[in-house]
Amino acid sequence: MPRSLSRVPPILLLFVLVPLLVEGFWVFWPALQGFWLALTNWDGVSPPQFVGLDNYARMIDDPVFHTAVTNTAIWLVLFGGLSAVGGLGMAVLLQKERRGVGFYRAALFVPVVFSLVATSLIWQVLYQPGGIFDSSPLADPDTAIYAVLVPALWRQVGYVMVLYLAGLKGIDPGLYEAATLDGATAWQKFRHITWPQLSSVNSVVLSVIVIDSLRSFDVVWSMTRGGPYHSSELLSTYMYSTAFQSLKLGYASALAVVIFVLAFGVIVTYLVRAFREN
Amino acid sequence: MDRRHFLRVTAAAGAGLLVSGTASCATSASSGPVAQTAGTATIQSNLSAPAAKAAIDALVKAFNDRKGSQVSVNTVASETFRTQLPSYLTSANPPDLFTWYPGALLTGYEKKGLLLDVSDVWQTMGDYPQAFKTLSGKVFVPTTTYWWSFFYRKSNFARWGVTPPNNWTEFVELCKTLQGKGVIPLGMGAGSDSPWTASAWFDYFNIRINGAPFHRELLAGRQRFDDPKVKAIFTPWREILPYTDPNGTAIGFQEATTAMLQGRTAMFLTGAFFADAAPKDALEDIDFFRFPIIDPKVPLAEEGPTDGFFASSKSPHVKELKEFLTYAATVEGQEVYIKNSSGTILPTHPKAKDSGTALVKKGRKHLEEAAEITQFFNRDSSDALQPTADAALVKFLQQPDQLDTILTTWQKAAEQVWSS
Repeated sequence: MPRSLSRVPPILLLFVLVPLLVEGFWVFWPALQGFWLALTNWDGVSPPQFVGLDNYARMIDDPVFHTAVTNTAIWLVLFGGLSAVGGLGMAVLLQKERRGVGFYRAALFVPVVFSLVATSLIWQVLYQPGGIFDSSPLADPDTAIYAVLVPALWRQVGYVMVLYLAGLKGIDPGLYEAATLDGATAWQKFRHITWPQLSSVNSVVLSVIVIDSLRSFDVVWSMTRGGPYHSSELLSTYMYSTAFQSLKLGYASALAVVIFVLAFGVIVTYLVRAFREN
Repeated sequence: MDRRHFLRVTAAAGAGLLVSGTASCATSASSGPVAQTAGTATIQSNLSAPAAKAAIDALVKAFNDRKGSQVSVNTVASETFRTQLPSYLTSANPPDLFTWYPGALLTGYEKKGLLLDVSDVWQTMGDYPQAFKTLSGKVFVPTTTYWWSFFYRKSNFARWGVTPPNNWTEFVELCKTLQGKGVIPLGMGAGSDSPWTASAWFDYFNIRINGAPFHRELLAGRQRFDDPKVKAIFTPWREILPYTDPNGTAIGFQEATTAMLQGRTAMFLTGAFFADAAPKDALEDIDFFRFPIIDPKVPLAEEGPTDGFFASSKSPHVKELKEFLTYAATVEGQEVYIKNSSGTILPTHPKAKDSGTALVKKGRKHLEEAAEITQFFNRDSSDALQPTADAALVKFLQQPDQLDTILTTWQKAAEQVWSS
């Protein structure tokens, strides 16, 4: 081993170590500090006060936290589920090269190009009272979260579609030919060729949608700010308002830790399962 | 919030702009602390809306042209400014001066020893009314103020054959008459990104019924939101809910402004700053009346949010920054600022000239007549308490029968803010 290590040119080591140091200082170190801050009470000005697990205990009695968790779960299932199903559906539909297919692919991909804040503005206008709806679904606490979900989905479907399109291109056409010769139906081909062949793309898509749903923030913040009265609050928006409006940075860090654990938990569970299957 | 909040919305374009001031250069990323240049004091400014930015630039230019001490401006987006303020103040090398407003947040920083005592600047400000002095304490120098009231269009009131009310009974009558004519009497823009506008109603009901001292105590955490006295203010509010725009919690501040200007709603409780965005031809037609008196025994209070400057206690440029503050508080400094700013703000120096329009003259008198000035919900309490008010008040507008639960929840949420 020492021999092979010494064969690494120093310039290469430099190329690896310098970015690692930068990343460590600007990304990992603050992230680790977040874990420590989660155990403190901190207003951003006075020195942080150590309070142990109080911040986590507080979540148990915090009704807004409960709403935020429920909404994040709804978001994960609907935003994640529908964008995966929708994206895959669109990709399969638009997979074959035929006339005009490029136009449809581009049309579905266009929302991805827009900034989510711009997207939210467009949808806000659509939702205006007297527009499509008589009263704005954003103002109704029972519908606000779903009203915000639609524009987020509108964008995400196009993104997931592109990921799946790339995956579909990678499948050996010979497999389909063989299946056709064997008299397989379209569904059988999808079930036994397309789906298994997409397994590597699936893990990418899963990671992307889990991460994207947990960090969904801009679309909710710019459309409702988590309102009316916290009904469309996600963990991410609640974390932001706790940190930067209420200046409770300790509690906000604890919320950030919860988000991290959720994201990490889901992805690790999936990866472990995926490795086992292999 | 209020004006700043509004400016933040309208001036997204100005966001993050780095202004290098005049003589010297402020070279830093827009969100970080500013590199100090020897002898030049730096102002960290959140006035990113074009009119406000032009005003502070003009003030700084006028000051620097006197060939005394020099200052430079570093403009950052107001949301960045607000979230970064604690970092600015606790950094080893903070900017010298900051644009801000007096209130609970500033008092908190003062107690932590982060702010510079500018009492000697106040020695030069003998003409200022006691109200501003009380508001500012030892650490703040006020430069501009504005007022809140019910705004309406004169031509519309004439067309509907109605006149501004003098008291609560007349106000309710006016609403009834207008509704009979098919107009929505009261505008509201508490939806979208401006739920805070509902707080103006809360503030006014409270200072009209319980008075300004009780209001301040409540906002400082020395009274309770579930107190029967607080509950009582929602009785007259309920009385006028049927006359309030049913879309009031669905539309934002801008749309509510447009609705009033276009005559879909008759009047709108707002700060004078809304007129800055109004079309020129509508400006002449805009008038206002004060939030109606409900209990004549309660001393008259008005909302008059005040803006100005404070300084960091770590500043190495004490002489320069005090010279600037002194200048900004003079008649000359104030007039330079007002002349270059939007049309609706008022100087804090009683002898400084305002923009001279009928609206502004009336607004100045409107504030002078008040025995007490309150700031606005978030200024008299804190930005941290504002979201608790937003949640409670928007819920009240939508589900007024839930009042008891709303006030209990509000008190609980407020205690969380006060205890941290």
